[in-house]
Amino acid sequence: MSKIIQLEAISKIYEIGDIKVPALNGVDMEIDEGEYVSIMGPSGSGKSTLMNLIGCLDTPTSGTYLLTSENVGEMTDNELADIRNRRIGFVFQTFNLLPRANAFHNVELPLIYAGMSKDDRQEKVEYALEKVGLQDRMKHKPNELSGGQRQRVAVARALVNDPSLLLADEPTGNLDSATSYEIMDLFGKLHSSGNTIVLVTHEEDIAAYSHRVVRLLDGRISSDEKQEPRRIASSTVIASA
Amino acid sequence: MGRKIRGAGRALWEGLIIANNALMANKTRASLTTLGIVIGVVTVTLMMMIIQGLNKSFQDQISFLGAKTVYVQRWPWVWDDDWWKYINRPRVTMDQYEQLRERIVGAEEISPMAWTGRSATYRDKTLDRVSILGTQQQHAIVGSTLPEYGRYITDIDDRSARRVAVIGVDVRDRLFGPLDPIGRNIRIASKVYTVVGILEEQGNFFGDSRDNIIIIPIETLFTDFGRVGRDVMIAVKGRDDVAVEDLVDEIRAIMRGTRNLKPLDEDNFAINRQEALSDLYDTLTGGIYAAGLIIGGISLLVGGIGIMNIMLVSVTERTWEIGMRKAIGARTTHILWQFLVEAMMICMLGGTVGILLAFAGGQLLKQAMPAVLPLWLAGAAVLFSAVVGLLFGMFPAAKAARMDPIQALRAQ
Repeated sequence: MSKIIQLEAISKIYEIGDIKVPALNGVDMEIDEGEYVSIMGPSGSGKSTLMNLIGCLDTPTSGTYLLTSENVGEMTDNELADIRNRRIGFVFQTFNLLPRANAFHNVELPLIYAGMSKDDRQEKVEYALEKVGLQDRMKHKPNELSGGQRQRVAVARALVNDPSLLLADEPTGNLDSATSYEIMDLFGKLHSSGNTIVLVTHEEDIAAYSHRVVRLLDGRISSDEKQEPRRIASSTVIASA
Repeated sequence: MGRKIRGAGRALWEGLIIANNALMANKTRASLTTLGIVIGVVTVTLMMMIIQGLNKSFQDQISFLGAKTVYVQRWPWVWDDDWWKYINRPRVTMDQYEQLRERIVGAEEISPMAWTGRSATYRDKTLDRVSILGTQQQHAIVGSTLPEYGRYITDIDDRSARRVAVIGVDVRDRLFGPLDPIGRNIRIASKVYTVVGILEEQGNFFGDSRDNIIIIPIETLFTDFGRVGRDVMIAVKGRDDVAVEDLVDEIRAIMRGTRNLKPLDEDNFAINRQEALSDLYDTLTGGIYAAGLIIGGISLLVGGIGIMNIMLVSVTERTWEIGMRKAIGARTTHILWQFLVEAMMICMLGGTVGILLAFAGGQLLKQAMPAVLPLWLAGAAVLFSAVVGLLFGMFPAAKAARMDPIQALRAQ
């Protein structure tokens, strides 16, 4: 299997005035295509920093990061923006949908930045919304949708440009438990259909759905273990659908 | 390249939609913000309308002088404080007129003019002071004073100094009312004249009616009202194929020759033309216009600062949105453009409202003074508003575009 992410001796040091604060301290990690990985750790462990680096929102102080064999550390801001646009699909804790735009337009946004034609966009947006089961909600605005549906719109937005990696930051943090299962079920299905998923969470319960858990402590990887993922009881999914 | 342009087009369209959404979300705020621009545009536009109106009215008023017609006189139309120079000049005489008429080649027509002011009486009605113009038959062409009906004065009238008169419409209306004046006798001072024609309506010259006039043969004027010490003015209408400057040069050469001036002597006559009045007008009004435009400019500046302020608020409020957009792949230029378009839209909205208000105000203003709203001015005002938006939106937009996506995403 080809490698999506290769991190080698990654360090990130923040300078606040004269004080240097190391957030990450020599992290090595590889993630293969098709993996479903949770990154866990208490606050201050560096997991947000790691997520930002993986998501190409930030660059490391030292070490190399290859994303699908491209060296991210040497990229300009515009190149990073393009990488985020094409290679990474972000899912945020607070959905971050434009409140005045409908589901279709929210999902369309990354394709506009990619400079895609209207016809191509139409097709891709419809396909992405279909994948998350919202094909009949395209014209709805976020305030006309439930929390779970909003997050599914956000997932569709993350998927629409066929990214190499789906990067979710506490995707169930703002959802009740039933809706959380609904979203985790969706992630499970996306993983089964071949998507690579990296999930950042502090909830063991949510991490339990992934196939591999990477734990961080004080800027280092403290454990990295494969696991048998928890399955969602089909009755729960039916109840929430 | 094509891809880049298509991308830019889409970014523009996208920017318009986003901006529209943002404006709709804050209707009250947007309209209050745009008020400064509205006031600025109204001020500038009204100023421009008045300027345009005054200019047009001025041009209309002096147009009877004729762009191709020059006037040879003792006095220039516009002078500084050197009046003593002119008062001692020799008068322009009929003799000099005859010589000029004989020699000049660049003229289509040339006529002498002499003025006096007298009372005019018909039966029991008297007009106290009417302008009496003595001239010759070709002045109908040179001075565009054609009779509306009846006839003009002729060379025969002039040669035999006949007491015939062509009267302006004001004189007709006030002396004769509904009667047909042709063939009737009027008294000018104490002399009896026969009305032979009525002039076409001439209009006003800065408040003075040019229709309060009686035209008589110039010889008759000399005979009845005195020849000695009377200034003659020579009106020369240039040929269409002769430049006015060349006409002036030719007249100067002939006049200097007639008056036996030596090469180093100054001209002791003036050759006046419409342009001299335009120049004077520009000098007199230039300062007023500049002041008006500066006032308008200041209100636009204040409006622009208002826009900048509200855009900064908007950028702060939508920090999370900027973070999200960057996270999903918006480039710096995309964000910059988004906020610039928004600022320009607010301003253009204000500009459009301002133009409409100014137009309505201009209609009211027209009752009191001349005002014109040319289409280019409307377009320019909206365009200028967009430029104000662009200038004052630049700083907030740059602030948004430079935001660190991680910090921005944290801001919710």
